[in-house]
Amino acid sequence: MSSTVEIIKGGGDRPSETFKRNKLYKSLVSVCMSVKIPQGQAEDIAGSVCDKVITWLKDKSEVTSNDIRTAAAKHLKKLHQEAAYLYEQHHIII
Amino acid sequence: MSIAASLAIIILAALIHSSFQLSLSVLTILSGHTIGSKNTQKKLFSLTTNFLFGAGIITLLLMSVIVLILINLFGSNSPQVIWAGGCGLLFGVAISVWLFYYRRQKGTALWIPRGVAKYLMVRTKATKMKSEAFGLGMMSVMGEILFIIAPLFVGSLAITQLPAPWQILGIIVYAEISLSSLSIIWFLIGRGKSLSKIQRWRENNKYFLQFVAGAGLIVLSLFVYVYEILGTTVGGL
Repeated sequence: MSSTVEIIKGGGDRPSETFKRNKLYKSLVSVCMSVKIPQGQAEDIAGSVCDKVITWLKDKSEVTSNDIRTAAAKHLKKLHQEAAYLYEQHHIII
Repeated sequence: MSIAASLAIIILAALIHSSFQLSLSVLTILSGHTIGSKNTQKKLFSLTTNFLFGAGIITLLLMSVIVLILINLFGSNSPQVIWAGGCGLLFGVAISVWLFYYRRQKGTALWIPRGVAKYLMVRTKATKMKSEAFGLGMMSVMGEILFIIAPLFVGSLAITQLPAPWQILGIIVYAEISLSSLSIIWFLIGRGKSLSKIQRWRENNKYFLQFVAGAGLIVLSLFVYVYEILGTTVGGL
């Protein structure tokens, strides 16, 4: 991964920020726990997905928050389909 | 209008009200955040119950205000032009529901402006206390006022036709029934039903629910038109 990856938020409507692994990790743990995955397993899954997303970000300097979400959901789907479904749905429920 | 006919209108209007989805979406997100933030089942129950109460209280208040205004303006016999306006409102909202209610995309995203949706998401995420959940329940009902105003208005018109002691009962019956779908989701979440299954069911059936809500509004509009407009003009000749 390049030293800092810029995340463009809200299609450019909101200020961009640098990629933070911990932020992605927390949201993944939260979604895993909301489908009743035990905390330890949720942390393992979140860690694994974060690693995959970081590998994917390696040659990129700028991506959108939606790209991050799509990439994370794709990897999460391989580990837990229900959690991935809820993760994908989060921004399109309302 | 007979008591039975008034109650039929109130019940049908409340059932249509219960088919609107914004409160259900907000309750689903609230539950997801609460479970995902390592809160206890007790905390989940407390927040979702207060959310339900908030939605119920605002429905009672809205209904009471509309009934009070109608009684002050027209007494217990609203003129036919008001009933005709109610029919038109129902019909117009029915068409709007069929055309605009769900966005043409994945998920259950609704017609509401994206700014409002984002605000509701932020508020839902920030909800940690009972009072906040109560307020969120109220806000989620107000957020759909453009759609629920039609069944609320016609339900209120029917309530004004009832004898005084029945009017309170009518308001309570309306509020209770309008909360039925929200109560079912609240119960399922409380019993530990998976949120993803609930959301998947909602997503898979969203166009059916949209059709039913629109069709219900048309049926109610026709019923009111035939019973209250035609019934008192043609039948009254």
